[in-house]
Amino acid sequence: MTATEMDTSTTPSPRLQEFQSEVDKLKVTGGRANPERAWLIVSGIGMVAGVAITLVTWLATHGTTSNLEIADYNSLGTFGLTLAIVSTGVFVVMSLRRYFRYWLVRLIFEQREQTDRLLQR
Amino acid sequence: MTAILELRNIRGGYGTIDVLHGVNLAVEPGQVHALLGPNGAGKTTTLGVCSGQIVPSGGQLVVSGREVQGATSDALARAGVCLVPEGRGIFPNLTVAENLRMFTHAGASFSDVQDKAFGQFPRLKERRKQVAGTMSGGEQQMLAMARAIATEPALLLLDELSMGLAPLIVEELYERVAEMAAQGVSILVVEQFAQAVLGVADIASIMLHGRVTRTGPPTEIAEELAEAYLGTTADLTPV
Repeated sequence: MTATEMDTSTTPSPRLQEFQSEVDKLKVTGGRANPERAWLIVSGIGMVAGVAITLVTWLATHGTTSNLEIADYNSLGTFGLTLAIVSTGVFVVMSLRRYFRYWLVRLIFEQREQTDRLLQR
Repeated sequence: MTAILELRNIRGGYGTIDVLHGVNLAVEPGQVHALLGPNGAGKTTTLGVCSGQIVPSGGQLVVSGREVQGATSDALARAGVCLVPEGRGIFPNLTVAENLRMFTHAGASFSDVQDKAFGQFPRLKERRKQVAGTMSGGEQQMLAMARAIATEPALLLLDELSMGLAPLIVEELYERVAEMAAQGVSILVVEQFAQAVLGVADIASIMLHGRVTRTGPPTEIAEELAEAYLGTTADLTPV
């Protein structure tokens, strides 16, 4: 017997109605494929940009005697340094997440293989 | 009636590698849909997308009329989407009873779960104190199926149920699948070996190189399978 031979009335079954309401309640973010890769790219750019901003502002302070301009460059330089440090942190965390996921998957597969080998003996 | 599961031009894969190149598929309520194809066609990846484990890079995943990209796999599982993965998906280091206790996540009581599991698979009752990983492949698959039965899903995703099992065990497992379908559970079943599933399927699709190349009645699909597997698919009409 195939499943279409069952009752195919147009009224959804109670289980289906319950499922429908559960699906309606789901939090859907839109999702992103491979978010770690996106974060790695963004943080990589952030690191380079942060270092570049810091260097440029440091050099710029040497080209002016105005205290106001020096204060501006200081603020910008601090922002660049902060950006570089935060980006480095994000980069390290995302790299570790990728590595540990791979490590975990490998562990699971090794465990399965070991179980299969044990069963064969 | 709205399809309970619909994949519209789904693209996706693992990291930078795309495995699915525009998958279109629909499962109607109470239907058994067999997704067939050779190794590496993208069948398991498709199930990964349907269960929320793989986020598609393009296309729409629609469950019961609602787009659900970004819904987590545990939220989908709680809603009623159950995946029985390839390789059984049980906890090999726990006993059968402990595994059954893990199946109470959906809110069913332990005694209910046990009643349903042992009612469908009496052999599990005999082995309830045995470590699951030391059981035979067929018994492990029964335990995995017991989860599907005990959690009463609305949508069941089965991955290679017959893999490495004796024909008699496969037959017994597919009898349970047919019973679940008769109770109104919608089922998407992925198989490499078609004969096992075509007897219970209402509709079947052939998947090749990350695309569904043909969808039709199981009898028609069975005739075209050898052609598709051997690579002479030029005359197949894409869907």
